[in-house]
Amino acid sequence: MENAVVIDRLTKKFGDFTAVDEIGLTVQKGEIFGFLGANGAGKTTAIRMLCGLLLPTSGSGSVGGFDIYKETERIKKSIGYMSQKFSLYQDLTGDENLWFYGSVYQIPRRDLRKRMEELTETLGLSEFTNRPAGSLPVGWRQRLALATALLHRPKILFLDEPTAGIDPVFRRRFWEILYRLADEGTTLFVTTHYMDEAEFCRRISIMHQGKIIEVGKPQDLIARYDQPNLQETFITLISQEGGNG
Amino acid sequence: MVRTILALMKKEFLQVIRDSNMLRMVFLMPIVQLFLLGYVASTDVKLISTAVYDDDRSGLSREYVRSLSAGEYFITDTPEISLLEAERGFRESRYEVALIIPRGFSRKLQESKQVKIGLMVDGTNANSASIALGYANVITRQFNERVTGFSPPITLRQKRLYNPEGESVYFMVPGIVATLLTMITMLLTSMAIVREREIGTLEQLMVTPISATALILGKTIPFALIGFLEMSVALFLGVTWFRIPFAGSWGLLYALSFLFLFTTLGTGMFISTISTTQQQAMFLTWFFAIFAIMTSGFFAPIANMPRSIQYLTYLNPLRYFMTTVRGIMMKGASLDVLYPQVMAMIIFGITIFTFSWLRFSKRVK
Repeated sequence: MENAVVIDRLTKKFGDFTAVDEIGLTVQKGEIFGFLGANGAGKTTAIRMLCGLLLPTSGSGSVGGFDIYKETERIKKSIGYMSQKFSLYQDLTGDENLWFYGSVYQIPRRDLRKRMEELTETLGLSEFTNRPAGSLPVGWRQRLALATALLHRPKILFLDEPTAGIDPVFRRRFWEILYRLADEGTTLFVTTHYMDEAEFCRRISIMHQGKIIEVGKPQDLIARYDQPNLQETFITLISQEGGNG
Repeated sequence: MVRTILALMKKEFLQVIRDSNMLRMVFLMPIVQLFLLGYVASTDVKLISTAVYDDDRSGLSREYVRSLSAGEYFITDTPEISLLEAERGFRESRYEVALIIPRGFSRKLQESKQVKIGLMVDGTNANSASIALGYANVITRQFNERVTGFSPPITLRQKRLYNPEGESVYFMVPGIVATLLTMITMLLTSMAIVREREIGTLEQLMVTPISATALILGKTIPFALIGFLEMSVALFLGVTWFRIPFAGSWGLLYALSFLFLFTTLGTGMFISTISTTQQQAMFLTWFFAIFAIMTSGFFAPIANMPRSIQYLTYLNPLRYFMTTVRGIMMKGASLDVLYPQVMAMIIFGITIFTFSWLRFSKRVK
């Protein structure tokens, strides 16, 4: 099977501080990969390097087959990115937000209208697209943000805490959408603080103080550390490592 | 590329239209500034309330007072007062000028003897005081010639060019046009970029394949257009409401304004790269704008400033634009006289815009 994300000894230093310390990972195509870690573990820095927003200090990596040093422009065309801030223009309507990002991604005009309709339909957003994004309840805003990240049909989708501040019902529905996307072949690279969500991932990695300390299937990790669930496994792992976990 | 820029432009316009604060700033600012500065900051000295102490009480002394109040400069319709009252009136700011005609005024005049008339002026405002004294001098000289039939061998034939009526609003409106264009383009550009950084949409844009060029153009062209719109509103009101003459070429004014925009848009972009919040951007813009306006010759002539400050004004791009706008509007100046200003604006425009462009591209990549 093809690999969507491959990184090896990837490192990012800010002055004396090493935010990401020689991490290595392989994410397969169509996989839902959970990228876990405590706050300040270096997850966001790692994701920013993968999305072409930040140049690594050393190490190598490729996303969708493109080099993260030299081919950032091609990476940007093939990935979608949704951050916890749901970066929408609050004073524009849902439709206008979608239209704007669609234009920026150079989606042919004829297709854009159709794709907008399809996406809002599948995400159950149709009734909300005429309202300013800022006036939508947070759950709908999150779906709108997802829609803007999906318009150009990215092969790999990076989701940085996409469910922060969302109620459990919405979270569950949101994950149903993510599953459907994965079934259709999209690779999902997700960070989350919710361990129940992490269990939905096919594989997870746990990051601590810039290093990846464990990678595997959630149930394997739970078994290996002999814990009742992923939450306890995570806490055990972080406390073993010590530091500011 | 073109499509991305157009999409960005449409988005910026939508945002300006939906943001009531922004809308107020964009459309009320030119009107308020124009009327405020057009009327309030008028440096014209007119309707000077004048106290008269006529100790001569003759036909000639009354004629002198009448000639003084004939124009629109001095108002002498206050009742006759004593010297003591005049002093009190000055302190209470009831009068700005007191005229004292001594006893024997008409007798001495008829005997062709020297006569002295007293004129006291409230000197608190040095500028208007000297203007009032100037008017009184002219009127007295004219009165002299009329009554004595004698004119001194040397007289000045004065002619005021470009603004014969000496209307300060003719001078202010071009200045307002120049400052408006500066303020609005700088402020809107810096705020729009920083706002995107604040809400996180800038990061979202950074993960799209958008090029820095498209982003910069899409973020500056809308505000250049709004700047032109504002400038046009101010010019329209200036010409129709304040009836200021427009001596030069409209085309040249707009062309050179376009040239000047590289400086203001570049500065706005630069401010956006050094601020993290909209408040910061706003304060920095005010800081740059105040410096630029104060040393541009908008209010006080540059020649009146201390030598060291005068040198500093050469570093102020607005200085050249101010001269350009006033030159075109008031004097009908064309390129052959404006070329030093144009050269300066080209140098500042290219330097500032390129520097900010590079800095901005580096920050967003």
